[in-house]
Amino acid sequence: MTTTADSLIPATDITDNQTVAVTVEGKNILICKANGDYYAVDNQCTHQRAELTNGRIRNCYLACPLHGVRFDLRTGMPKGELTRVPLKTYPVSVAEDGNLHLELD
Amino acid sequence: MSELIKVKQQGEERCEGISYQNLLDEETIEVPAYLREDTNPYMGDEDISVDRWISRDFHDKEKEKLWPKVWQMTCREEDIPEVGDHHIYEIIDQSIIVTRTGENEFKGFINSCLHRGRILRDCDGHADEFVCPFHGATWDINGEFKGIPCKWDFSHLDEKDMSLPQVKVGTWGGFIFINFDENCIPLDDYLSPLPEHFSRFPLHDYYKGAHVQREVQCNWKVGAEAFMESFHTLETHSEILTFTGDANSQYDTFGDHVSRSVTPMGIPSPHLPHVTEAETMRDILELSGRMATDSAEGHEMPEGITARTYVAETNREMFSEIIGESLDHATKSELEDAILYMLFPNTQVWTGYHGNIVYRFLPNGDDHNSCIFETMILLRYEKGTKRPDSAEKNILRPDQAFSEAPEIGGLGPVFDQDDSNMAAVQKGMIASRKGAVSLASYQESRIRHLHQSIDKYLNA
Ligand code: FES
Ligand code: FES
Ligand SMILES: [Fe+2]
Repeated sequence: MTTTADSLIPATDITDNQTVAVTVEGKNILICKANGDYYAVDNQCTHQRAELTNGRIRNCYLACPLHGVRFDLRTGMPKGELTRVPLKTYPVSVAEDGNLHLELD
Repeated sequence: MSELIKVKQQGEERCEGISYQNLLDEETIEVPAYLREDTNPYMGDEDISVDRWISRDFHDKEKEKLWPKVWQMTCREEDIPEVGDHHIYEIIDQSIIVTRTGENEFKGFINSCLHRGRILRDCDGHADEFVCPFHGATWDINGEFKGIPCKWDFSHLDEKDMSLPQVKVGTWGGFIFINFDENCIPLDDYLSPLPEHFSRFPLHDYYKGAHVQREVQCNWKVGAEAFMESFHTLETHSEILTFTGDANSQYDTFGDHVSRSVTPMGIPSPHLPHVTEAETMRDILELSGRMATDSAEGHEMPEGITARTYVAETNREMFSEIIGESLDHATKSELEDAILYMLFPNTQVWTGYHGNIVYRFLPNGDDHNSCIFETMILLRYEKGTKRPDSAEKNILRPDQAFSEAPEIGGLGPVFDQDDSNMAAVQKGMIASRKGAVSLASYQESRIRHLHQSIDKYLNA
């Protein structure tokens, strides 16, 4: 089943290389913007579940603030040896009203 | 003629085409002194043993006496733009955390936890502090020890210096260098005369627009040498001969650490007699991968203008538009020739006003039969605007072609041709009955220079 969450936040509220944590249906989700595109991922590192809110984004990669694993925001795939578990990603788009629109499955 | 200048390009034994220095005489703009340098002391003609490329023993000597002593390029400053950003530089079995610790300050830490030795950082990124993933020992980004959990169990460490050990760090042209040797010569001395020769190309102000990496199945020196002579153009890149003065290239050596080749472009090869100016112009735009445009469509040369002049003027106009600065002082040579410097032992940088290529060849970990080949393209951006972000490294799989990396454009197919020799040279050297290679006196002099400099380190 697909749940959609409209009217999340206005797309203009988030700038490049910024993250915004939101709770959707009890899930902690991180909205990110990189190179002009929006991404949504689980706000929890797959290494040791650290929150990713303060992670740096560089070139479509989000780095965990704790030990530094970098996740490709497009695929969720990690780089480095600390974890091989990808980060869950969610489709996100800008709706007609200018708000971000998220799909949870 | 003295033995010393026996094979200098201006000596008797030179190719029949016009020399680079004579081409400079045709410039209408004042030629800067660095282009007028023409220095190639005779270094001998002896064969060189293949052991230097294929033997484990030689690799071990380099590991022990070369890499621990030389200044080596690790990354670009813009790769780690914010305080706390770091790059993990690995050379053979060593690992360094190259960290930005201030606006213009960098440190290099040995990437090994002082508790039980785990590497402290697994990959490039950003950190407010370095927390070891094993038991949580922590250092600040300046390398000061901040503690370890269960402190009661470590009172014996109180007396010890627990700051992270460091290597020497220096910068030039936006590159960050390290040296493992406490007593090494200063970076500025090591680089000389590179900074002076690059004074018209402020590389610290460029940004890395592309970065592609791939493993190649050859020793790192075989890889580096593939870019140190233009002699191979005739057989390996024959399609670029209509605009490449391969055999009239000039080769120079400067001290132990710097050498260069200058290959005139926008003129046909002396090997190719019947090329028209229009063909030269069309091919250089479409095939070189380094000009301001990669299409010859709509380019008509006015009567009486040479391809060399036309392409230089096209580049002058388009480059200066991109960088928002006049290039009236630039010579044709600087606008189109292949002027390629090598910084000992493994970094090569092109001059140029926009789109400077950089090569680096690193041993592939502890394997002497393979290496990591990287190419970067440094770009300029409009004066007064924000520096664009540095490109993420594109790591190709070993089975991928360089032409599969769209960001390097026309260079990809050229590298693929070079690539077709690199692993094959390694294989052939291993199979060699002769057990040695022979070098052209002049055109391959930079390769001899590289090896003589290596020997200075190995015999020190
Ligand atoms: S918790 Fe994210 S890298 Fe360890
Ligand atoms: S090895 Fe680093 S904290 Fe134990
Ligand atoms: Fe080549």
